[in-house]
Amino acid sequence: MKHVYSVTQINSYIRNMFTQDFMLQSIRIRGEVSNCKYHSSGHIYFTLKDGKAAMACVMFAGNRSGLAFRMQEGQQVIVDGSVDVYERDGRYQLYAREITRDGVGLLYEQYERLKAELAELGMFAPEYKRPIPRYVRTLGVVTAPTGAAVRDIIQITSRRNPGVQIILYPAIVQGDQAQASIIRGIHALSTLSVDVIIVGRGGGSIEDLWAFNEREVAQAIFDCPIPVISAVGHETDTTIADLVADLRAPTPSAAAELAVFELSAVEDRMEEYAAALLRAMLERCGGYRRKAEMMAALLKVGSPAGRLKQNRMYALRLEERLQAAMRDRLQCARHRFALCTEKLKGLSPLDKLSQGFSWVMDESGRGVSDVELAEPGRILTIHMKNGIVRARVEEKEKVIR
Amino acid sequence: MKNQTLEDAFGQLEAVIGRLESEEIPLEEAFRVYSEGMELLQFCNASIDAVEKKVLKINEDGGLDEF
Repeated sequence: MKHVYSVTQINSYIRNMFTQDFMLQSIRIRGEVSNCKYHSSGHIYFTLKDGKAAMACVMFAGNRSGLAFRMQEGQQVIVDGSVDVYERDGRYQLYAREITRDGVGLLYEQYERLKAELAELGMFAPEYKRPIPRYVRTLGVVTAPTGAAVRDIIQITSRRNPGVQIILYPAIVQGDQAQASIIRGIHALSTLSVDVIIVGRGGGSIEDLWAFNEREVAQAIFDCPIPVISAVGHETDTTIADLVADLRAPTPSAAAELAVFELSAVEDRMEEYAAALLRAMLERCGGYRRKAEMMAALLKVGSPAGRLKQNRMYALRLEERLQAAMRDRLQCARHRFALCTEKLKGLSPLDKLSQGFSWVMDESGRGVSDVELAEPGRILTIHMKNGIVRARVEEKEKVIR
Repeated sequence: MKNQTLEDAFGQLEAVIGRLESEEIPLEEAFRVYSEGMELLQFCNASIDAVEKKVLKINEDGGLDEF
């Protein structure tokens, strides 16, 4: 069975490996200072880093004679010391005995000086920043023709909008010729009157990026009549070119994103506009049509034909009333007539004959109801129920009733 | 309508649509505004060049080559 060790034992073992390593016991390391803290105890804690890695460092108070300047963020230094394990945390760190400025640290100083100077001149002032046109058609690029930067820019541009014309100035972006090459690129592209220029390169050390920290390049960007987007290195590297450019992109990819509009979005927007325009027009036309219909209706009512029609209707109505009134009258008359007939019937003398009475007339047709008129010998006509009797008066007798 | 940017054209389109939608404008005017809008749209369409481009590279003589 394998032996089981404690953490302490392992850390102690590892430390022992470090202390036995001849090289680690006396080593010089170059790097950039960051997270520098001067502790009240006199110890100095900081991190030494380069583009890819970082390492914890400490300079104990007892070794402070090995440091002749005040360490600051971003300084390039060469640390002389030993790498050892701090057993308690299981971390290794660099124990500094002597710290000196690296030549590059001087570059940093130069950078700070130029930055302060150009800031003083107002070259970073926002009022000098030209706006980046939103709908770029021709994109100038000043960068190395090989490498990730140009590849990223082309890829992102063609993805967002393949209709944008990229014109590349294949520049030298590091070394002695870089400054002149970048400036030539900016000039060449501005004479081609592109819509915007991206100037940049991928990440690298401060020396690699140095051309972008030079006054002449800054001046060329500042003087460029076309808006310039800078895209130098990584997000953390801020160069003078970045400060003077009209827009700073953290990376070349981001620069392309900022410069190139998305074709599909614009096409969508145009479709929306077309639809809105048509909708508004149709609505307007509909409104007018409704108005026209309403007017037509009003006009119809007021027209001679309309009036004629109305008069005709009125006449028709009058006629109806007239006829109805006439009908009523006739009905009424007929009624009265029937009533009178009935009444007359009741009064008819002929009716009485049926009850045994008779009607007596003389020769001249006059009714004879007075005995005085019935002289003996006179012919009288007697009307009965079902016939007429002609009779001669024999005698008469007056009766008082 | 020459020399204007896509951005300007979009701004004008917004204004045209707004007028058509809200203002009481006479019919003739509405037609005029509408055709103005259509012209703006055509301009936008024309100014969006959707033809795929080849990347060009400036050569030593200042001429352009395909990259």
